[in-house]
Amino acid sequence: MAVSKATDLGKALCIITGASKGFGRSLAKEISGLLQPESVLVLVARSGNKLSELQTELDSLVAGKHLVIRCVIADLGLREGVEQVMKSVRELTAVDIDHLLLFNNAASLGDVSRYAQSFENMEEVDSYLSFNVSSALCLTAGVLNAFPRRQGLRRFVVNISSLCAVKPFPSWVLYCTGKAARDMMFRVLAEEDPDLRVLSYAPGPLDTDMQLQARSSSADSNLRQIFTVLHSEGQLLTCEQSISKLLKVLLEDEFSSGAHIDYYDL
Amino acid sequence: MSDFISDGCQDFGRALCVITGASKGFGRELAVQIAGLLKPKSVMLLVARSGKQLAELKDDLVASDGDKSQLVVHCIQADLGKKEGVEKTIRVAKETSAMDIDHLLLINNAASLGDVSRFAMSFTDREEVDAYLSLNVSSVLSLTAGVLQAFPWRHGLRRTVVNVSSLCALKPFPSWVLYCTGKAARDMMFRVLAEEEPDLRVLSYAPGPLDTDMQTQARCYSGDVKIRQSFSSMFAEGRLLTCQESGAKLMRLLLDDDFPSGAHVDFYEL
Repeated sequence: MAVSKATDLGKALCIITGASKGFGRSLAKEISGLLQPESVLVLVARSGNKLSELQTELDSLVAGKHLVIRCVIADLGLREGVEQVMKSVRELTAVDIDHLLLFNNAASLGDVSRYAQSFENMEEVDSYLSFNVSSALCLTAGVLNAFPRRQGLRRFVVNISSLCAVKPFPSWVLYCTGKAARDMMFRVLAEEDPDLRVLSYAPGPLDTDMQLQARSSSADSNLRQIFTVLHSEGQLLTCEQSISKLLKVLLEDEFSSGAHIDYYDL
Repeated sequence: MSDFISDGCQDFGRALCVITGASKGFGRELAVQIAGLLKPKSVMLLVARSGKQLAELKDDLVASDGDKSQLVVHCIQADLGKKEGVEKTIRVAKETSAMDIDHLLLINNAASLGDVSRFAMSFTDREEVDAYLSLNVSSVLSLTAGVLQAFPWRHGLRRTVVNVSSLCALKPFPSWVLYCTGKAARDMMFRVLAEEEPDLRVLSYAPGPLDTDMQTQARCYSGDVKIRQSFSSMFAEGRLLTCQESGAKLMRLLLDDDFPSGAHVDFYEL
């Protein structure tokens, strides 16, 4: 399938969840430069304010390029959240595109200040998994149904994964469990639909709010220390650094579908 | 710790043993095998949705014990897909007077296959996915947490947590998205637990393809033709395992007690 190396992502419909800050926000900015005119960028997040700020920034960044930017204010932690996104996406099915890109980026860290033994409250675990696992499956399924396989349409589904999908971190039981679940979910999807391009990308330790949370609240003191040292020695990655590798992987399009690829593998 | 690790133990000691999904299939067989390996005055808590099947199992266990070990069996009728079911199970475990036990054994066996007749692309119903993960992942974490809290670390108490896993925790099966996702999630959850609590013995055991109701479901309904075929031929050629033979290997593993905590061990590796 490897076509000659592309320099852009074509005329695309690109959906990014968790787009208002951190990795998702940087991804929206970086990817906007790789979309051909008339492409549509759908940005999903809970915070309307931050989304409109981002929209303003993007508007000036891609001025004159005829990029359509749609903001969807939705909480993917709620059952209605996915449906709200789907409503916007279904309105776009008539748009003439040659690439579909879905970035399942939205995620939460969960309470890392406690150990697994303290999670006896099932509601807490349920709501974590609903947001971090169920919503990713339901949104992916919905989007793929709205844009079924057709000649000339390349469909990419990216799962923003983590080293935690493959390695257990003490005091991170929810995060590790959710990321392992997602990786497997997308591996099954890749097996089922060879026409899709499915990638689980572990972006490395990023200098984001989530990392700050990890550094300050992890119950496990070793982890706290490791993250503190990464931070103080300037070894955390910027979102831009990590995103440029992700985009390179997508443009080269040579990964095996379903693979877990880590920033440091590249 | 070293005083607990004696090669080739012959029994599980005076134990409190909790088994979920105990009314049929693999869980039922494990209850039978474990009952035979408990020291006198051990307690078994059998959890399942069907009270009737549990009561039958209890009768069988008590009958085969005779009076030789004064085995105490409690049946807990509970739906672990519901918060109340998990809470009820934890409550009973807490109330069980098992002060003088030397072994806590929790077997997280309850699970559902999910709808395997459909592919991942069809799972747009959030409630369906949520309910699946609730029974197969959340309840397991919450129950394990609650039971471990009820029986905290103390000198002379060995604590073992078993996750009944599957090859599907490691390998994606087309049309089995819920099952694979749930099993991968559980394996990771227990790996984290093992990292956190070096005092615990945590095992994810993949029992192999068992001749159970779940296997019938897999064979008849899998959306993926190849999977259906491969299970059908395993069945036709008598290559499915009995719960008894797979259960026996698990017993051996637990008695030998030399697996690295958190490991995923498959029937076929042994």
